[in-house]
Amino acid sequence: MRAPDGPPVTSGDVLLSIDNVSLSFGGVKAISGVSFDIRKGEIRAIIGPNGAGKTSMLNIINGFYHPQQGIITFKGEARSKMRPHDAADGGIARTFQNVALFRGMSALDNIMAGRTLKMKRNMFWQMLRIGPALAEEVEHRHRVEEIIDFLKIQEIRRTPVSRLPYGLQKRVELGRALAMEPELLLLDEPMAGMNIEEKEDMSRFILDVNEHYGTTIALIEHDMGVVMDLSDRVVVLDHGIKIADGTPQEVKSNQAVIDAYLGVAH
Amino acid sequence: MIIAFGQFLEVLVSGLLAGVLYSLVALGFVLIFKASGVFNFAQGAMVLLAGLALVRSLDFLVANGLPFWAAIIAALLFAALIMAITAFLVERFVLGPLINQDGLTLFMSTIGVTFIIEGGAQMLFGSDVYPLRLFPSDAWFLFEGSFPGGLLVSKIDVWGGMIAAVLVVGLAVFFQQTKTGRALRAVADDHAAAQSVGISLNWIWFIVWLVAGLVALVAATVWGTKLGVQFSIVFLALKALPVLIIGGFTSVPGAIVGGLIVGAGEKLAEAYLGPFIGGGIEYWFAYVLALVVLMARPQGLFGERIIERI
Repeated sequence: MRAPDGPPVTSGDVLLSIDNVSLSFGGVKAISGVSFDIRKGEIRAIIGPNGAGKTSMLNIINGFYHPQQGIITFKGEARSKMRPHDAADGGIARTFQNVALFRGMSALDNIMAGRTLKMKRNMFWQMLRIGPALAEEVEHRHRVEEIIDFLKIQEIRRTPVSRLPYGLQKRVELGRALAMEPELLLLDEPMAGMNIEEKEDMSRFILDVNEHYGTTIALIEHDMGVVMDLSDRVVVLDHGIKIADGTPQEVKSNQAVIDAYLGVAH
Repeated sequence: MIIAFGQFLEVLVSGLLAGVLYSLVALGFVLIFKASGVFNFAQGAMVLLAGLALVRSLDFLVANGLPFWAAIIAALLFAALIMAITAFLVERFVLGPLINQDGLTLFMSTIGVTFIIEGGAQMLFGSDVYPLRLFPSDAWFLFEGSFPGGLLVSKIDVWGGMIAAVLVVGLAVFFQQTKTGRALRAVADDHAAAQSVGISLNWIWFIVWLVAGLVALVAATVWGTKLGVQFSIVFLALKALPVLIIGGFTSVPGAIVGGLIVGAGEKLAEAYLGPFIGGGIEYWFAYVLALVVLMARPQGLFGERIIERI
């Protein structure tokens, strides 16, 4: 095992770096002075007790929140107030803690919605479904079917998502994010509320996405076993402050982390 | 017997066709409500604005010697442009800055928009009653063989019905087939998720206000031909309210069916109940119908059930 302060295991270019970022809502400090980076091709976990600021962190990365302080650099470019749809355009996709699907649509339409930014044809051709618009629709359907095969949800593609069980809804949501062909995929508790079998399936999908598509993944998860198995590096937040950063092994044996999770005797 | 049945049919058909016009106005409300959760009080004012822009530019072009058909096309384009500018201004200066605000705040802001549109429209285009003649205003007498005197069906109403049908089919295709339509449905379901797949809320809001503006233009052509373009058109918005309660605020088919129910219901009530309770039923029947629906099925016939966890 490495020393806790040694150089991190994985190497590679930095895809996203968070530099001294602070976020507050009125008087409540959600995140104070946090810095870490996400490297190309890695699976990066963000963990911490409830209220640690994990989801706020994801919301900052994809532009839902704008930090009052700090610099965010994505693909070598420092960005200021980026809006969520610009983040999506730049290659950041995400899923939500409480599944956020388009409830009125089928699984297929939900995943097709992930292709929105990739469809360029004129609205009038699309209405008539002829010529280049038809070719485009077919091409995108093709990509979406690949994702559906990959996630093994062929049988439910026409089902309205509101009728699907929770585990499958989470899978469709992952499919929608994958349809965007993101460079950085943010997963907010992808396994919350799942049974062991569903968790294993989801873990496999996450690893496969990372391997086959080379997608960089940042995930929030409460199941420590899953975090230790999946991630290359882990950053730990507590009360909006970073208390540890390193490989799963390093983090697991870090005294501050143990204290944060178990509480300290005063 | 056959005369009574003929009369019933005549009342029913004229009611249904009048109902189509209520549907057109209600449709504008539903589009905006679905996509942004905003109850747009200004929909009636938008019908007035579209109507005035159309009739005044049409009169101007005809007076300047343009052939009638060319003048109609140019005037329709001009009115559509006015509605697009309105949509842009509303998004840019009213709804854009109020993003993520409470629904009631947004509703209040549309009341303000109503006054600005009403005042602006009359300042720019005048405030008289302007007759609009796009469709023939006489009537057909159908089935003269089966019913003595035939069934009287007003041509404007039939035109209105056909135009509404084309509009609804066009909207359905737009929502189902196009990327923008899919994006609109996505925004209606979940704002955050829609943004996360790269849909810009500002763009979508512009699009829905534009579509609602074009629907208002269609409503204005038919209402304007029937009654002349005049300020009282804004009170149409009040008639759309019971239609929305009956059909459901979030349902496009609901707006259509609700409009037909109100149209047919009030004409039939006037014809058959009116003589017993003194007439004038047409003006309040829709609200009583809405009240009954509210008590039995608060979400409307086609609306989504709202379930709240406590």
